[in-house]
Amino acid sequence: MPLLVKDRPTSVRMKHEPLKPDLVLVLAYLALSAIGLLMVYSATAPRLEALGLDPAAELRSQAIFVVIGFIVFAFMSTFDLVELKGFTGPIYVVSVFLLILVLILGESDGEATRWIDLGPVQFQPSELAKIAVILMIASVLAQAEVPLKWKTVARVSVVVGIPAALIFLQPDLGTMLVFAFVALAMLFVGGATMRQLGFLFMATIVGTVGLFQLDKIRAYQIERLTAFVDPDNSSLDLIYNQVQSEIAIGSGGLFGKGLFGGSQTALGFVPVQSSDFIFTAVGEQFGFVGSVIVIALFGVLLFRLLMISSSARSRFASLVSVGIAAMFAFHIFINIGMTIRIMPITGLPLPFMSAGGTAFVALSAALGMAHSAWIRRNLPVGE
Amino acid sequence: MTNTMRIGVIGIVFGALLAVLGLRLWAMQITEVHAYEERAERQQVRVVTTPAPRGDIYDSKGVKLAGTRSALAAVVDLALVDKDEMDQLAQNLAAFLDLDASEVIEQLSNDNRGAQITVAEDLSDADATFLLERREDFPGVAVIPQPVRTYPMGELGAHVLGYIGKPNEDDLLRDDVDGTDFVGRAGVEKSYDEQLQGSEGTVTYRVDAKRKVLSLAGEAPPTAGGSLILTLDSELQAQLQASLRDGLIQARVEEMEERREAIETQSRPARLAEALAKARADAAQEKAEEAAADSEETVGVDDDDVAPEPEPITVDPATVLGSLYTGLPVDGEGMCVPVQRVTVPLNGESVLSGIEPRFIRLDAVADADTDPVATVVIAGEKHSVKKNQYVDADHRVLQVLHIDEDEIILYHRDPWCPIRSTGVVLDPNDGSVLAMSSFPTFDPTVFVDGLSAEQWASLGTVSAFQNFAVQGLYAPASTFKTVPYLLAVEESLYPMDRGTGDKEIGDESEDEQEPVPLQSDTDEYSCSGEFKFTLNDGTVQKKRDWKWPNSHGMLDLHGALQASCDLYFWDMALRLWQERADESAVDKENILQEYARGFGFGTESGIDLPFEKQGLIPDRAWFVAEQRKETGRVRPDGPWVGGDLMDIAVGQGAVLTTPLQVANGYAAMINGGTVWQPRVMDQVVDTDGIVIDENPPQVLMRQDLDPRTVRMLLQDLQQVVNNQERGTARAAFKDFGPNVELVGGKTGTGEVIKAPRTERFRQVDNAWFVGVAPINQPKWVVAVVIERGGSGGKVAAPVARQVLQYLLNGSDGVTELAPGLDAD
Repeated sequence: MPLLVKDRPTSVRMKHEPLKPDLVLVLAYLALSAIGLLMVYSATAPRLEALGLDPAAELRSQAIFVVIGFIVFAFMSTFDLVELKGFTGPIYVVSVFLLILVLILGESDGEATRWIDLGPVQFQPSELAKIAVILMIASVLAQAEVPLKWKTVARVSVVVGIPAALIFLQPDLGTMLVFAFVALAMLFVGGATMRQLGFLFMATIVGTVGLFQLDKIRAYQIERLTAFVDPDNSSLDLIYNQVQSEIAIGSGGLFGKGLFGGSQTALGFVPVQSSDFIFTAVGEQFGFVGSVIVIALFGVLLFRLLMISSSARSRFASLVSVGIAAMFAFHIFINIGMTIRIMPITGLPLPFMSAGGTAFVALSAALGMAHSAWIRRNLPVGE
Repeated sequence: MTNTMRIGVIGIVFGALLAVLGLRLWAMQITEVHAYEERAERQQVRVVTTPAPRGDIYDSKGVKLAGTRSALAAVVDLALVDKDEMDQLAQNLAAFLDLDASEVIEQLSNDNRGAQITVAEDLSDADATFLLERREDFPGVAVIPQPVRTYPMGELGAHVLGYIGKPNEDDLLRDDVDGTDFVGRAGVEKSYDEQLQGSEGTVTYRVDAKRKVLSLAGEAPPTAGGSLILTLDSELQAQLQASLRDGLIQARVEEMEERREAIETQSRPARLAEALAKARADAAQEKAEEAAADSEETVGVDDDDVAPEPEPITVDPATVLGSLYTGLPVDGEGMCVPVQRVTVPLNGESVLSGIEPRFIRLDAVADADTDPVATVVIAGEKHSVKKNQYVDADHRVLQVLHIDEDEIILYHRDPWCPIRSTGVVLDPNDGSVLAMSSFPTFDPTVFVDGLSAEQWASLGTVSAFQNFAVQGLYAPASTFKTVPYLLAVEESLYPMDRGTGDKEIGDESEDEQEPVPLQSDTDEYSCSGEFKFTLNDGTVQKKRDWKWPNSHGMLDLHGALQASCDLYFWDMALRLWQERADESAVDKENILQEYARGFGFGTESGIDLPFEKQGLIPDRAWFVAEQRKETGRVRPDGPWVGGDLMDIAVGQGAVLTTPLQVANGYAAMINGGTVWQPRVMDQVVDTDGIVIDENPPQVLMRQDLDPRTVRMLLQDLQQVVNNQERGTARAAFKDFGPNVELVGGKTGTGEVIKAPRTERFRQVDNAWFVGVAPINQPKWVVAVVIERGGSGGKVAAPVARQVLQYLLNGSDGVTELAPGLDAD
């Protein structure tokens, strides 16, 4: 396939070809969501029951978001990315505005300020910002000449830099690094030279180290990042989750302890399990086999997203799909890596499985956008 | 690179990331699964231990000396306390325990004390009920049974029993001991701690992450420790302890008599008269000055008045006396105090125990905050002292312990005051210890509740917790003479008759006869009070017998032992030295020392009690080594000489033995030469009375004696007690009653401080007596030492006499303690 230049059709296809969904992608998405719900239930029910509460309470609230997520996914699937392109600027501006707002009004969990309280639900603007940044980068790169000029690379850096800086102020180092990873992946596919990528890569590292040096990162973040390397010398509270998660997964063995058989999970040894540490429930209850199946499902998801990217009818859609794939990949790797103590503790959720409304809906929307590109891969541009 | 290729590269990167996750999961869930399973299991259970009751301790007749009673303890189970209840609990507990809340919180946050934290031990029933009825005020507090050590006979056998306490670092290295246990710290409580300890029970619970108990997972009851059956006879032990106590008091009474006499006859009247005269003169002077001042003021104002008669000058003799010394100190009963903890308030006075009691006054304290310096006045002399310094640098009997801004605390030793008495009763036929004690003693119960500062001050300063029968080292003095006695008979090694006894005391005539060696034990030797001998280098030296300036007259070996004549044994040692001394042939030279060691002197007896001291039988090799190492235990210059060997022959010089060693040595000498390893513990039995361990009699070593020699020795020992002419113990045993003819023994008087008898310094002696009975078939050896008590015949023999009366004639046969004759 020749390199795409601007938004031109790669080939002229038959008009009005039926709009077929990517069944494999949809099934993987549904399966992961279903497993996620089951895991949320298994991780929360014993504790809720012990407190005399409805054991399905957390399952129910998560299920509502899953349903909303499905609707958003379906809606975004039917929404043509090309039309979305026109909204890229406003979406980006709104999300940057929300990021500023969260710094002023946001709810704090004691360590960081990430949420805006919207009555019954809490809204996390950084989730929206991820999508906005992907769209904005794609829109910049779609119009650029290949190979990219340094000017284009600079523009992308600014597009990423503004929200990344705001998120840094929350502070949320994990999400900030998502932006860096996504940007690098998109620039790579978008035609950046190795020198440009190398420069950016170095700049990211130097910048991150520089932030440490500037003392702008709060102490707990540094310790959270380094605790997993040397758990014996870290404060117990900090490393407790991770060590307990590791014990839970390790003790799962080949086939796991069975659903509701996870003593670590049931006895409450792993805090915040339903959200950040949901993979622990998989590892403990279903063992190596279950873990590999979940990872394989994510693999399928990532594979399909890359297929969508390579078959997209427009350069914009292709880049959006790559950005979304990179975002998923980074979340998956960092989150699961955290539960098995090869990655530091960051607040990144496991896509479609971790309990948490904003993330589920936002990630569903992102998946839906890529899916829409698949559905329309054969349609001529402009239709 | 094409777009598709670039997407492919991205795909490979993603795949690699997922593969890393998979590999790590493989390592955890497949390779190391067991390690993780174990960690999970371990943190999901909680083990609460229940203490095992310690085994009992009985005497040989079944009298319980140590037992266990079930008490109640309050424990806090933190698993049952919510975080928000902690403050309330701490405050309530603080009120209940009469502590500060912060102390309670500190106690509760001390994590290494096991699952349950004991906050109160040995609760009264009322307190236990209080806690149980107010569960809501004391969340997580449980009242549990707790075994507590008891010693139903109190002080009886305390030094053999020992005591228990919290484990030290070494104890904690043992597998069966943790920080909450009690372990034996002395006596059989220590030496048989593992048998007594038993094994803890455990209760295992399943718990959740908050350590909240979910269910009971298992239970193993504790196993009580084994019970010890000792060789002690508690009634004999009681008699020994009573006699030792009375003996020490008697020795102090004697000492105080001597002091009173000295003060009244020598120093007191003269010094009192002098002091009174000075006080009068001072008062008169003062008066005159006052009168002069008064008259100046009143002159011309009141001319009509007749000048007042001068008041008579009066001085209160009591005040003046007090300025010298008030009679005699000082423990409320008119007794001297061997080790005194003296507290002197600022500008106040305290009296120090001593031959001449002295007052100490605290005049001033400087630099109280930094490095306090106290100014004290003793007998009119000012001294500036700091912490840990000796006030009297030359005598070193008064040491500063602590200085406050308004008081000073010192330790004072009265080296002439009898400090303690120690006794052992052994069965010479198997080495069983029938009784063993020192006085002052203690009740081991004090250690169960923890020793208070006062108890430590009163008992610790005189080392009441130490078992001096095995830990005390004393020169055996004349009790040691049986060793050269036996050597003389067995080796036909008798002294030379140098004819010195023919001369009158003070006769310095030069016409000495040629020394003639004695040939047999019945050859007589002139035992005068003074021994003059010529050394190899030609110098003439003098040694004086305890009897000097009197003489023993002509005595053979038997008489020499009965009368405890030093000369006979000195001369024997001198002959031995002159015939055998040889630096190269050390074995030949050390025949006396080797013979003594053959009876266990200077060797650990191996008794089943901790902290046993070894003692010392000195010889040339030891002397040279000490001199080279400059330990200060031997003179810095000069070789090992005959005089050293002569000292050994009478149990003086550097010879050191424990009372047990002496008793055990006598046991060997009278049983034909078998040295038993002494023992206090016979059997360990379980709760059903079944023997689970035994400590049968064991032979430590053997040095065979001719039965004739043994009979001869026993006869002479009997004469020490029964010979009315010269027996050194005859006076102490004169009221023995029936069966006195079955008693033998040997007195001893060991010099502690050699000094001329001056007002301030005079000789101090340890009093010894070793008794043997019945003389025809000995069943008991009784050894008694009264440290700084005086002479053996006067002070120690009466104590042993009471014990022997008890053994031979029963408790009704024991007569009042009375001092014997001042005899070595």
